[in-house]
Amino acid sequence: MMRRLANIGLLLAAAVLCYGLQTTRPHYADLIAPIPVYGNLKDDVALRTFTVRADAVTFACTLAIEQFGRRRLLTTGGVWAIVTVALSAKDSTTTIAAATWKGPGGLLYDTTERLSLAPGMPPVTVQPGLPGKGRLVFEIRPDEASEATLLVSEARYFALDSQAHIALGPIAVRPDGLPEGTVETFDLSKDL
Amino acid sequence: MGTDEKTMFATARSRIKAWIAAGAGSAAAIAVAGMMGAFGALHRPPAVLAPGQPIDTGQWLATPRRAYLSGEGAYGLPLKPGDRALVVEIELENRTAQSGKDYFDLLRPLTPIGEPDAKPFVVLTRDETMSPALQPGLPERMAYVWAMPDGSTPPKAVTLAIDGKVYKAQDNLYGTPGWFNRHELGTLTMPVGADATTPDLRP
Amino acid sequence: MSMTAHGSAVETDATPDERRWRRRCLWALLLLVPLALAEQSYESVVTLLNNSDRLARDVAWGQAAEFGGSEWRLANLRAASGVPGLPPNAVPVLADFTVRVGDADLQGHWKVCMVMLIDAAGRRWLPSGAVSLKQPDDVQRCNSAMFSGAKNGDTLKISETFLVPKDATATIRPAVSLAGERPRYLRFQRPQG
Repeated sequence: MMRRLANIGLLLAAAVLCYGLQTTRPHYADLIAPIPVYGNLKDDVALRTFTVRADAVTFACTLAIEQFGRRRLLTTGGVWAIVTVALSAKDSTTTIAAATWKGPGGLLYDTTERLSLAPGMPPVTVQPGLPGKGRLVFEIRPDEASEATLLVSEARYFALDSQAHIALGPIAVRPDGLPEGTVETFDLSKDL
Repeated sequence: MGTDEKTMFATARSRIKAWIAAGAGSAAAIAVAGMMGAFGALHRPPAVLAPGQPIDTGQWLATPRRAYLSGEGAYGLPLKPGDRALVVEIELENRTAQSGKDYFDLLRPLTPIGEPDAKPFVVLTRDETMSPALQPGLPERMAYVWAMPDGSTPPKAVTLAIDGKVYKAQDNLYGTPGWFNRHELGTLTMPVGADATTPDLRP
Repeated sequence: MSMTAHGSAVETDATPDERRWRRRCLWALLLLVPLALAEQSYESVVTLLNNSDRLARDVAWGQAAEFGGSEWRLANLRAASGVPGLPPNAVPVLADFTVRVGDADLQGHWKVCMVMLIDAAGRRWLPSGAVSLKQPDDVQRCNSAMFSGAKNGDTLKISETFLVPKDATATIRPAVSLAGERPRYLRFQRPQG
């Protein structure tokens, strides 16, 4: 009888231990999560294979784009956020393909898929010794504009590699709810 | 053969014991599963959904707007000569925290349209972009376009099954978050308008 | 089913022999666990090590080297000038090779064919799509040559264009890497005289 109780006790102890490990230990997704490298607007943020610097953020109601020889206007239900970045490769040719706008509420906005073929759109390839520029375009909710973080990495999905987390700082809000300095139309066809 | 008899009884007894143990184990497992709500989805009659009203599918807040036939290509999609297209327009709002395009499984036509199991094209009506990722909290009107081969009779009304998915903070394989377990939320019947001037349906 | 005096959950009525074996098994774990880990990770480690260009095979100027079933020879390494629309610091560089096909299964041997330039500091440049210079019709790129249907004994002209900063042009050396030959790759001496 004693031994049976001891066995049950051992089993319970094992269950408690396993449950404890399950709830307190980091999950697989956290273990292989991107390694953040923090920085601010206009800072050089050095990652494993490249360096990125966010130079300017512009907000716009409409985007103008030259596509297949005709001019198109892209409207949005929110607001367009355009981030100009400077990129340089560390020691081999590098392609930077993924950027995300992380709003203050934690919402993650990937670069828009509604346009391509405009200068500076990711993927941007940079050669060592020859820094380049990129233009990252996001379609966001106006209330996710202030205190946002720009996330930049080589690929959208990866494990055990670095990712830039660039704090873009506070942005005032206009009476109409749009961020301060929002322009009516931003022309994407002009070079960076 | 006293010893044989003894072993026979012994094995029979242990077998019964094993049955009881297994039965009790299964009963306990079913009871626990029941307590955790595994049978919540059973025997629930499919809901009848109304157009013009938002449907929470988990990832999306979907508001069916209208259905119509298109003679020429709809939203920039080319059609073969003679073919028509059935267009179903739905407003979709991404309820998740990240950009996504997991909206191909949202609608399943129960009314036969053209080829069986034909996948629709999904187009952003705003500017005819083919299946772009939609941004969190920004509703967009999307058009689901099914090509209807020449000669097929256009339906007067289309019945669609609306499917949802369930969020799991950790999937069973990698412990990563995701949307799983596609299930039917209900069915929706919409009259099919004659052309692209068809007005939105009111609830 | 007898109760032991000390009432432990594990140690019951084991014979001394059983106890001895239990001890032996526990000691064996000290050896077996590391061995199992090594066996499990062996293949991944080998893949990781073989998946990069680590071992350079130097080829002297004018010499040909057998690589991926064919004979590779550097024909020229030249800078192009007067290309408009480039950053002031950038120089377009062309690496020209002549390749004598030894094994016509190019799609098998030349998988992930990569031509690169490596400078003295170890920086690596891959072909750039930003410049496209006019080339004679019989000149191909490495990846298009794979599908050219070349036969044994044919000679292919392969050329790749790079964009390199001025300060690197003095030391860059062309190199060729093929998935099937990794971790070895060919590194060519710069043209002499």
